[in-house]
Amino acid sequence: MLRSALVRLLAPPPHPRRVATIGALLGLLLVLCLPTGCREAAGAAAPRDRVVAAVPPAAGSPVADVAADRGSLHDLGLRFRDATGAERELASVGGPVRVVAMVYTSCAHTCPLVVAEMKRLEAALPAAEHARVGFVLVSLDPARDGPAQLAAFAAHAALDPARWTLLTGGEDDVLTLAAALGVRYRAGADGEIAHSNLLTVLDARGRIAHQQQGLGDGAATRAAVERLLD
Amino acid sequence: MYRPLAILLLALPLAAQAQPAAGARHGRAVAAAGRARIPGGSYLPLYDRGAGRVTVRPFALDRVPVTRGDFLAFVTANPEWRRDHVKPVLADRGYLADWPGALDAGRGDDLRRPVVQVSWFAARAYCAWRGGRLPTTDEWELAAAAGRTARDASRDPAEQRRRLELYGRPRPDPLPPVGGTPPNAYGVRDLHGVVWEWTRDFHSVLVAGDSRATGARDVALTCAAGAVGATDPRNYPAFLRYALRGGLDARATLGSLGFRCAAS
Repeated sequence: MLRSALVRLLAPPPHPRRVATIGALLGLLLVLCLPTGCREAAGAAAPRDRVVAAVPPAAGSPVADVAADRGSLHDLGLRFRDATGAERELASVGGPVRVVAMVYTSCAHTCPLVVAEMKRLEAALPAAEHARVGFVLVSLDPARDGPAQLAAFAAHAALDPARWTLLTGGEDDVLTLAAALGVRYRAGADGEIAHSNLLTVLDARGRIAHQQQGLGDGAATRAAVERLLD
Repeated sequence: MYRPLAILLLALPLAAQAQPAAGARHGRAVAAAGRARIPGGSYLPLYDRGAGRVTVRPFALDRVPVTRGDFLAFVTANPEWRRDHVKPVLADRGYLADWPGALDAGRGDDLRRPVVQVSWFAARAYCAWRGGRLPTTDEWELAAAAGRTARDASRDPAEQRRRLELYGRPRPDPLPPVGGTPPNAYGVRDLHGVVWEWTRDFHSVLVAGDSRATGARDVALTCAAGAVGATDPRNYPAFLRYALRGGLDARATLGSLGFRCAAS
């Protein structure tokens, strides 16, 4: 199918330009659909887990090796503020293992689900590991999410301040973190922000060890966290 | 998950203006021509965000893409951006890999060709170094909607045909020196038909898993709805640009992806 899509795109126009345009459009749509899967688009939002590597690590192999190639998010030099107003760098945010998501506090739709997903992960961890895993929410809406809003959100969602860190920052730092994580987002005219629901597991050195696209089944994410804790 | 899409798209015949001789002649003069003032205005994005036309404030945009020579000056002055020094979080392994050496971007015409195989991080750092920034997608698309004389030629059938032809041509190797295409109504060249270009918010395109997981907000970008939801289904080049942006990640470096800078 891939081949046929490419052939369609690369083939010389069989007929006048209109036909070529339509053919090319159909080809493009094929290309768009193939790698992403229309079948899933028609159904429920299936969770997508991806280990950031061409080949998933074999059981027992160190995840750190897989993550090394993409470098450390700590090297981005980003600065944020937490819910107390204190300046924070990613490297200074608890852990050593961190689970990171980008949300915004006035988000009515999926953000509560993202937070719920992270809380399930938190609840599933053995108590002994709690001190070693940090949960980090970074605001996609820094203009409206000041430290006070973050604090109110944390209280409302009953997030344990010992483990949860909520961050806001300059527009540029937020944009950069989103780009580095692969979070896609766009402000809509209605004040809402369409965005990826992406959970990222960072190792102690700030490298991406695992990413979960979508919601619903955090088993692979939990497994990635546990591998890092071993 | 984005990589296969990006690779497929780049396998497409990328447009190119086949005027290397003219480009070589004009390259140096044009590269020195700096930025054009774009008075601002509005354009209709390929995908309506619920607000119809998008208003863009006045800005300045480089008349031509950043060249290898320009970028060589940047990496020379900022060694942390040399290909042998760059931090892996900022660029993948293809970064400037097409240069003969870490501080050798080639000779003669090579220095006037658009720089490619640069990541979004590197492109952004270059623009900041030059006292500018990457253009937003809206700014880029507004400038790119202009034809030779009209500021909005996006619905002009002749201009659409010309672009289809440009985007349908195979990409020459090596790329032609910058400035080889005629200026548009703003005096900006090479927006179409030379290289794809980074924008500051390339990651504002939501595709595939993202839109499904987000709900139905961006369903217009997936599968068959990709054409149905578009404001102008005949604008094939715009489909290509949106699909490419949707497939990129910020560390990516591609042989057909360069950039230019803007300023407010």
